[in-house]
Amino acid sequence: MLDNYQKKYLKNNFQLLLVDNEGSILEVGNPFIKVGNKLQDIHPFFESVQDLLLIKNQQHSFSCVNLDFDYDNFIVDIIIHTVKKNETVVIIENLTKHYNNYQITAQRRNETVINYEVLELKNKYLLEKETFKNNFIANFSHQLRNPITASAIFSKLLLDTNLSSEQKNYLDIILSANKDLKERINDILDVAKIESGKLILSESVFNFKDLLNELITGYSIIASKKGLDFKTELAFNLPDYIRGDAYRLKQILGNILSNAFTYTTKGSVHFSASLNYIRAKKVNLHFEISDTGIGIDQSQQEEIFERFTKVNEQNNRNIGLGLSIVKHLVEHMNGNISIESQLDKGSKFICNLSFKLANEDDIKYKSSLKELRPKFDTKKNLLLIEDSELIQLSVLKILSSDGNFFLNIVSNGEDVIASVENQEVDIILISNTIQRYAAEEIAKSIRAISKETRKIPILALSSEVFRDDIKRYKSFGIKDVISKPFNDVSFLDKIYKHVK
Amino acid sequence: MTASKKIVLLGHFGVGKSSLIRRFIENIFSEDYKVTIGVHISKKKVEISENEDVSLIIWDLEGQDDIKKTRSSYLLGSHAFIYVFDLSRPATFNNLGTELNFLKDHFTNVPVKVVGNKKDLVTKDYILQYNDVFDDLVDYYTSAKTGSKVETLFSKLAKELI
Repeated sequence: MLDNYQKKYLKNNFQLLLVDNEGSILEVGNPFIKVGNKLQDIHPFFESVQDLLLIKNQQHSFSCVNLDFDYDNFIVDIIIHTVKKNETVVIIENLTKHYNNYQITAQRRNETVINYEVLELKNKYLLEKETFKNNFIANFSHQLRNPITASAIFSKLLLDTNLSSEQKNYLDIILSANKDLKERINDILDVAKIESGKLILSESVFNFKDLLNELITGYSIIASKKGLDFKTELAFNLPDYIRGDAYRLKQILGNILSNAFTYTTKGSVHFSASLNYIRAKKVNLHFEISDTGIGIDQSQQEEIFERFTKVNEQNNRNIGLGLSIVKHLVEHMNGNISIESQLDKGSKFICNLSFKLANEDDIKYKSSLKELRPKFDTKKNLLLIEDSELIQLSVLKILSSDGNFFLNIVSNGEDVIASVENQEVDIILISNTIQRYAAEEIAKSIRAISKETRKIPILALSSEVFRDDIKRYKSFGIKDVISKPFNDVSFLDKIYKHVK
Repeated sequence: MTASKKIVLLGHFGVGKSSLIRRFIENIFSEDYKVTIGVHISKKKVEISENEDVSLIIWDLEGQDDIKKTRSSYLLGSHAFIYVFDLSRPATFNNLGTELNFLKDHFTNVPVKVVGNKKDLVTKDYILQYNDVFDDLVDYYTSAKTGSKVETLFSKLAKELI
């Protein structure tokens, strides 16, 4: 019985040929491939292995050979066995079905690998493009900071001089435009920081209620100018002090409030803050900002968190970077934000954020800081290393208004060492834009002069405020960075923090 | 009598070996990728001069990411190799030097042509970016899609083999 099966299957799957040295076919068994007189005429495969017939007592195996004919296609394994001189056995095993199955698997595998490689390359290309863009933005913004700082400081100083009311009005417009420009640049830098993963959240204790009140005061003025009703509601059980990034919290709430006031021309804006819960020394806060403004259609509500989205062409709701930054910041702080809105009726932004609760010691320390800005017995000597005349004048004006400092200025890197050696210096400020010298190099040289100079606090005046930059500065002995553009408050806060 | 020469195409999968052969033999191209398993063998007669021609028996091998994985019997009796890589996929030429050294070491006198295929997908600047890798090694930049340099590759090789 088995013989019958063997005959059937062997007949179908194997073809045997006996050939001589010249490839002439001497015998054929169980043919499924059509053959003529010569082996090499069957298929180019046999033509290219003809030379193998000449070496006796050899066996060569070729697996998975595709033999395509007009009448059919086969995928076979072939063994060529030169049994003795002038006699070679060719064994062809038909494995078409088996190899076709393998082909499906190989096809899937190869396509997956190729797609992965292509995606990886695209990703690499996009990352390179993104890095280039972010670096470009950072450098360009950096170049804008000196003129903006100077323009703001001098406009403010001009405001205190004897001006006509018309001149004061013009100056107000300049100051407002300057503030706007500064905010836009900061927004662009924030986006660049967020997208390059360089955004770091600072953590310090701050008075949460003070922060909310500052915001409310600021937007109350805007509300009264626009003739809008600004309703606020702060829950009684909100904590006084919390620990986290106050600047970013203010930015989140400020951007949402600013958005509400921008798109509301009549009616009201409502702001509320309440406590979700306190758990494991953490406080979860709930904020709601609603308005009776132009609203957003439901289909477009997701898009408003994307940068530069123009949601509604008709009523020209042109969203810039503000809400995109809010969304990123909230996510960065492990919070959440959502929107409920109806076209022509208004919008409500709902945001939940967690902060650490401040402990007793933190609160005591923070309260004591309020009394700060020490009075020194004698004026302190501040050495400014800066070649921009605009910044030199800005610093001079800030310090002369404060009255606690003598200012010495060095305009080029070559004079720094002599200047530090020949005069008393209590604090050093090095600009990162000074020509031919990096702030880090100058700091290193100063610290190398003597034991005394190592103790002088050195600060950088820089727009490079990314995590890597600050780390690099610190490694060269630069204690802190005053970020450009600065104002009198932010400038003096940093100086008083480090001068002794 | 027409001489027969066995030419073997090697390289990673998906680099366009089969497409180059189809372009050369049938002058057609398809965007559809069909993986080659094992080996496909084709034949084309190439005219060398007025009175002389040569039969190229072209072995199109299943793509491998490492040449050492190639079944040794496929390479037996080869008269020339064409090593093909995909210009747009660095993974297919990252080990070009090692792959070519393997051929040099095991098939000392067999000529090797190195081909960067899919030229239509990359720019000149892109190729310049990899100049360090390609400069001394690559013989032809081809495109099976447009047919660029395909005929030249095979016909010049055929002449070299006679």
